[in-house]
Amino acid sequence: MTATTDLEDMISRIALGDRKAFAGLYAATSAKLFGVSLRVLNNRAEAEDALQEVYVKVWNAADRYQVNGLSPMTWLITITRNHAIDRLRARRNASGELDEAAELADLSPGPEALVIAKSEAGRIAGCLGQLDPEKSDAVRRAYMEGETYAELAVRYAQPLNTIRTWLRRSLLKLKECLSS
Amino acid sequence: MTPEAQKEDDHALAAEYALGLLTPPEARAFEARMNRDPVLRAYYVIWAEDLASLTNGIAPVSPPPAVLKAIETRLFASEKQGFLSWLGLIPALVGGLIAATLVYFVTSFGLLTTPDEPLYVAQIAAEDQSLIVLAAYDAATETLAIERTKGAAAAGRVLQLWLIAGDNPPVSLGVLPDAATAELTLTAEVIAALDGGTLAISDEPPGGSTTGAPTGAVLAVGAVTLL
Repeated sequence: MTATTDLEDMISRIALGDRKAFAGLYAATSAKLFGVSLRVLNNRAEAEDALQEVYVKVWNAADRYQVNGLSPMTWLITITRNHAIDRLRARRNASGELDEAAELADLSPGPEALVIAKSEAGRIAGCLGQLDPEKSDAVRRAYMEGETYAELAVRYAQPLNTIRTWLRRSLLKLKECLSS
Repeated sequence: MTPEAQKEDDHALAAEYALGLLTPPEARAFEARMNRDPVLRAYYVIWAEDLASLTNGIAPVSPPPAVLKAIETRLFASEKQGFLSWLGLIPALVGGLIAATLVYFVTSFGLLTTPDEPLYVAQIAAEDQSLIVLAAYDAATETLAIERTKGAAAAGRVLQLWLIAGDNPPVSLGVLPDAATAELTLTAEVIAALDGGTLAISDEPPGGSTTGAPTGAVLAVGAVTLL
């Protein structure tokens, strides 16, 4: 893994239009971001398209990186995750008003996902483990699958406001654990 | 809301924003607040960092080489666009009217070298601006493009172009033709000496200097600039 300061240096040079720095950042980070893109989209062609879009965004937004306060890997992962989630949501909306929850529940990991599936590491995993399984599951689904409150409400057969209240409470508990 | 409850609400809101659970109007309102409030931004940053660590267990997968090619094509392939954005740098480097004329010259000459290649330019001008010649080196063809924009050789005389590199004696690049534009092919030695060199034009008899050095008055000089 390339050092944080090296990544920051590359991003600041990209902001000045340095193509070599861009190639360097791509070499250092594209496998990780492609892994994330594949994990969210579970479709190789779409994950490749998403990765293209992500790096185009990185090139165009590099000059605004300094002000956002995120570490470089978090910035890159966030751009990737958010873009992949946008695609995933568009795909779900395009599929119409099916019983989405049931459909999603049946979505078993394909071969790609099996290769890359691993349990999450780090303290957030430990803290998620302290929540009710249903609630930690909902947080993971919101982050990795981009499920909305409406989708979670269907999945857990609860009114939307109830879902929102219990997910917010779960997030605050998670924060308490993370900051302890 | 008590300050404590407000703080909790903000933490939850930051998490919802990071997860993309807010409606578009809610998300925009949160962003507007975050841009004014560094504390709220810090809440978001902490959430973004923690949530990103959910991807720690995702193994890297090397994308196929075609992806990088496609990205670079999208960002850089439009040679014209790249060239134009790169031309935008010229004023910062040269400044003022000279920059404007050089940009015009390089553009009109169609010197569409890729921005990766060094482009040397010079405005070779007489002190009183009675003679102005623009020069640009095109790495793709190893030629020096010349355009005389003002003045001309005196009757029965010619203009000869020289490169002066460091303390070395001037090296002739050739006699300028009567036409306003010309392309001079450069030798490898001359190309190597362009960086930091000076171009000069001297007044010479027809056919140019026979001594290998300028024999007439030096009419105009200009430093070679790397763009």
